[in-house]
Formats: sequence, C-alpha cells, structure tokens
Amino acid sequence: MEELIYKLKQQIIEALNLEDMKPEDIDDNASLFGEGLGLDSIDALELIVMMEKNYGIKLQDPAQGKEIFKSVAVMADFIQKNRTK
Amino acid sequence: MIRHCVHISPNEVKVDGKALIHNDKGSTMLTELYRTYVGDYPKFFKMDTLSRVGFLASELLLNAEGNRCFEPREDRAVIFFNRNASLQADTHYQSTIQNPENYFPSPAAFVYTLPNIVTGEIAIRNKYFGETSFMIIDDFDEKIIMKNLENAFQDPITKSIIGGWVDCSDEEHFEADIFIMEKD
Amino acid sequence: MEEKIGGKRMIVKVSDNIISPLGTTSAENYAAVKAGMSALRRYDGLWGLPEPFFASLLDRKAYADDRQTIDEKIVIDSISKALEGTVIDTTWTKVLFIISTTKGNVFLLDERENGLPKERVRLGMMAREVTKHFCNPNEPIVVSNACISGVCAQIEAMRYLESGEYDYVIVCGVDVQSAFIVSGFQSFKALSQEACKPFDANRCGLNLGDAAATIIYTRKDKVNDNEWVACRGAIRNDANHISGPSRVGEGSYRALRVALGDLDPSELAFINAHGTATPYNDEMESIAIERAGLSSVPVNSLKGYYGHTMGAAGVLETIISMQAIDDHNILATRGFDTLGVTHHLDVTDQNRNTEKRVFIKLLSGFGGCNAALLMAKGGVQ
Repeated sequence: MEELIYKLKQQIIEALNLEDMKPEDIDDNASLFGEGLGLDSIDALELIVMMEKNYGIKLQDPAQGKEIFKSVAVMADFIQKNRTK
Repeated sequence: MIRHCVHISPNEVKVDGKALIHNDKGSTMLTELYRTYVGDYPKFFKMDTLSRVGFLASELLLNAEGNRCFEPREDRAVIFFNRNASLQADTHYQSTIQNPENYFPSPAAFVYTLPNIVTGEIAIRNKYFGETSFMIIDDFDEKIIMKNLENAFQDPITKSIIGGWVDCSDEEHFEADIFIMEKD
Repeated sequence: MEEKIGGKRMIVKVSDNIISPLGTTSAENYAAVKAGMSALRRYDGLWGLPEPFFASLLDRKAYADDRQTIDEKIVIDSISKALEGTVIDTTWTKVLFIISTTKGNVFLLDERENGLPKERVRLGMMAREVTKHFCNPNEPIVVSNACISGVCAQIEAMRYLESGEYDYVIVCGVDVQSAFIVSGFQSFKALSQEACKPFDANRCGLNLGDAAATIIYTRKDKVNDNEWVACRGAIRNDANHISGPSRVGEGSYRALRVALGDLDPSELAFINAHGTATPYNDEMESIAIERAGLSSVPVNSLKGYYGHTMGAAGVLETIISMQAIDDHNILATRGFDTLGVTHHLDVTDQNRNTEKRVFIKLLSGFGGCNAALLMAKGGVQ
C-alpha cells in the first residue's frame, strides 16, 4: 500500500503539473481539494483520466470523484479495491 | 497613448526597450522568467505555451507600470492578436486522442485549445472585469492592431487596454509584443 | 423615422442568413424552430469516438470537396445567400469581412486527414479563402473568443462602422463539429446523452451543433420602423476561472448592465440567453439576470433546437431572435419543463406573443468571458 501511495503521489504531481512539489510534500491524509492542495474542477477531471489510464478504473459520474479524491490515502484505498491494470 | 511595452521571443526579453538578462532560451527561459519575476503563481505550470508567454509578458508589463494592487477594475481591457491561435495547445490535445489504442482526451489540455484563454488568465490574476478578446490575422499588421484597439475605446467604460501580439506555434517558437494603451 | 441616437449614427442590419441542419435560409430556419423542430440526435461510434453523443450535424457528404473545407464552404455559401438582393460589391475597399469561429478547420490536425494543406488550420488562412472567393481586398479579421465570438464579432463590426473606416461589415460565424471538439467536451463530462434541457431541473449537459450564420451591417443616419439596429454591446470577464462560470455571474451581469444602458427593462421582449443546459452555466445566468434587475423579462434559449454552435451561436441566435420579433413571437425553450435554477426566470416551453421590439442576446464562454448585445427593431429613443 505504501508503495502505491508513493507512486500515486508521483502520478498526481505529473498529471496536474504540480511542478514545484515532491511526493514528500503531500500528506497522505491532507484534503486534495478545498484547503489542502487547492485543486480545482479541471484537476478533478484530469484525475479521472489518470485513474483510467494508469489503473483501468472508469468513473462515469464526476460526482463520484468528490468522495474518492478526498485524500491520497482514500484514493489509494479505492484504487487497490477497483484496479483492473 | 502607449505606456510601457514588453517584447518576448525565444532568445530575447525587453521591457520598455531595455533587455532583461537571462541564462536560458526558449521554453526553459519562460520558466526562468517565471521564477525570477513572478514566483507566486503555481498555476503558471498548468498553462500552455501561449498562455505562459502572454501571462509573463503581462507580468513584466504590469511590473513596469508599477503600483500593482490587484484591486478589481472594469476599465481595463485585454485584447490580443496572433496568427496561430492556440496551435501549440491544439497539437498537444490532438496527441491525446490521435491513437485509438491510447485514447485519453485530456481536459487540462483541452481547456487551452482556445486562444482567448490567455486573456482570461491575465484577467483572473489581476481581477480585471473589463473586456477580454482575441483576434486572428494571418500576418502581423501594426496598423490593423492599433486601429482595432483604438476602436475598443468606444466601450463606455474602457479607459486602458493591455493589447498587442501574442503568438506561439510550438513550445520553442513564440513571441509577444504587448503594451498598455490609454484613452486620450 | 428614428433620428440619430445621441449624435452617433446607427448600425443597421442589411441582411442575414443561416446555414444549419434546419435549413439554408434565415426564414426556413425560423419556421423550423417555431414549429419545435430540431436535428438533434444520437450518434454512436461516429468519427471513431468510443462514447456516443447527441448533436445537430450537417450532411458532410453534401459539402465534400478537395479544394475547400466544409467550414469554408458553408461560410461562403451563407455569405453568398446573405448578399443576394443587396447592392454590396464585395470588391470595394469599404467592405470588411469578420469571421467568428472557435475551432474552424481544426479537423486538419488529425494525422489521418490527407486532403488539404495543413496550413489551412490557421484561421487567417481559412478566412482568406473566403475573402479570395469574394475578391475582397481587405485582410479579414477572425474573432476567436470562445463561445462569445459571434457577439464579439458583431460588436467589432459596430465599432468599425462607427469609426467610419468601412461602409459594410460582413459578419459570419461558423463552427463544424469533429472528433477534436466532441472528445474535448466529453473529457469535461459536459455533454448530455440526450436532447439538452436549458434551465430545466433535470438538465445534465450540452449538445453540440454545426452551423454558419451571417449578418451584414451598415451605418445609417435614419432608420425606418422595420429596420434592425444593433444598439449597444459589451464584453466583460468574470476574473474567476478559465472554464467554470463565476458563481455570482460577475462578467455576465456587467455585460448586461452596459448593454442595457438606460433602456427601461419593460421595453425588452426577451433575453435570449446562452442557456447551454449545463448545471453551472444556466444557474450563473439566472444570477446575472437577477443582479441586472431583469428577472421579470422573458428568457429563452435556442440550444434545444441547434445544440451549441459555438462560434456561430452568437450570430445564429441573434438572427433567430430578430425573426421572432418580426413574427411577434417569443420562442419556446425546447427541452425545458420545470425551472431548475435558484433565481426565478420567466422561461417556458411554449411560444408566446409579444408586441415589443427590443431584445438582448447574452452569451458566455471559456476564459471567463461574457457578452451581451442589445438589438432594437426601429432603434431606441
């Protein structure tokens, strides 16, 4: 799981062009949207693409994203359970 | 009346005619300029090349103007022209859908496939509620641009325009020549 | 006869045309819309896209050509039809062409496209194909300001005419759908899988559409009661987000305020809104309209007939609105059933009678831009 979390942080940084960030800068449980990393609606959509590209998980409803993208830890948990790649 | 001007090309940056010193060229120069003269706007790294060039040019221009207060205003317009519209962003987006075996359309890339987005980025950064617009002409033509910008003062509120040419054909080929034009 | 408005001469419509899946003249298009018709339908697997989509598309085969793109052909066709019956000689230097488009000719970027030179993806080249056809000596201007381009182009026309530099300005808005555009909106999850429902409680996204639409403007000292006058237009930015509309409708409200000017809102027959049927856009417009003090003005959207025609929308929807007022009609909002925005708007799914002669065309677009245009039959006091 730890390996997945680290890899996921790298993928998030790359997918969202968070140029000045390193995986160490992202807290596992910090909220990604709102206060935490301050990601926006386009970032959420881009994460949906990233999930499909890297893990084969298709999210049809962007509203699902709100729950899954709460934090890196929540995301990793979801991916672990639903990945097809 | 023209107050302040900025020129950016892959090898050269000038503010009010004076060259700025930089170590890099091309796309890495843009990043260097960001770190040296801006630094507090990480959204820069999400922008396509056209928006980076236009945004940086506007930052240098507004720093030259001075007294930056980021207070909302409606009397300043942002009106740019170019030849290539959003070609660099279009090419990048096309690459995310070109291959049916690797088909992953990118929303972050798609949003930049409109040339006017750069004017929106400048409006957001500076809280400009005024007019923002983008026009295409196939060759740079100062006369056409100046006449069009003068016309923009017909808007009852517009008193100041950030205007000019901001173009980009790929990540390493771009240019900006922008200025502040004030109503006489 | 209406005299000059405050010293300025008036910008007057000479003629117009629409080329769309609903017809090849403005009258034909209006008749179809009045009868509640639409070419919106589902497409499965078109252009190799994995996800189906709902759109209003022209028959590509009818426009197949190895010398011109479909975008160029329908622009030339639309302008030609608008010029019929006018005295305008397009070879005059006092005639300017303004094209409005978001992604004209973008399909040429696809590596599988081998027909025309790739350089035609440049919008200036696309526009020069048009002026070349009409032997016009001037450099055409292309307005590419996201989905508000069609109103921006009309505002540019008004300014050029007001400045006296030109006697006629031919404005043509165009966009033709493609894998590039559809896939992009699909990545935004902004498209509805069925016919769109502007302002409706169950709206879930937009449909896309093909169209070309032309309005030719000139400048006059006096107008008669039946002539259409473009009175005032304004473009304003939300300064909020590059793709999401302002939650307080800032730019839309400010554009409305300037376009309205000192006109008494009770003179407005309707506001033809952007009404794309996305959850955010329609909500934002309801806020902007209320902030502008226009909640009691009837509102409609034409996206339920044509889908979102992007660069053509501002021109097409202005023409249909003029046709409607000529017919004493406020067009129904096709797809609407129950109001689903937090601020009250007077929207219905029925055509309604009106004797009023003024309307506002309102639009919003990516990049936070918004535009409003005040049009008056016979001008305003």
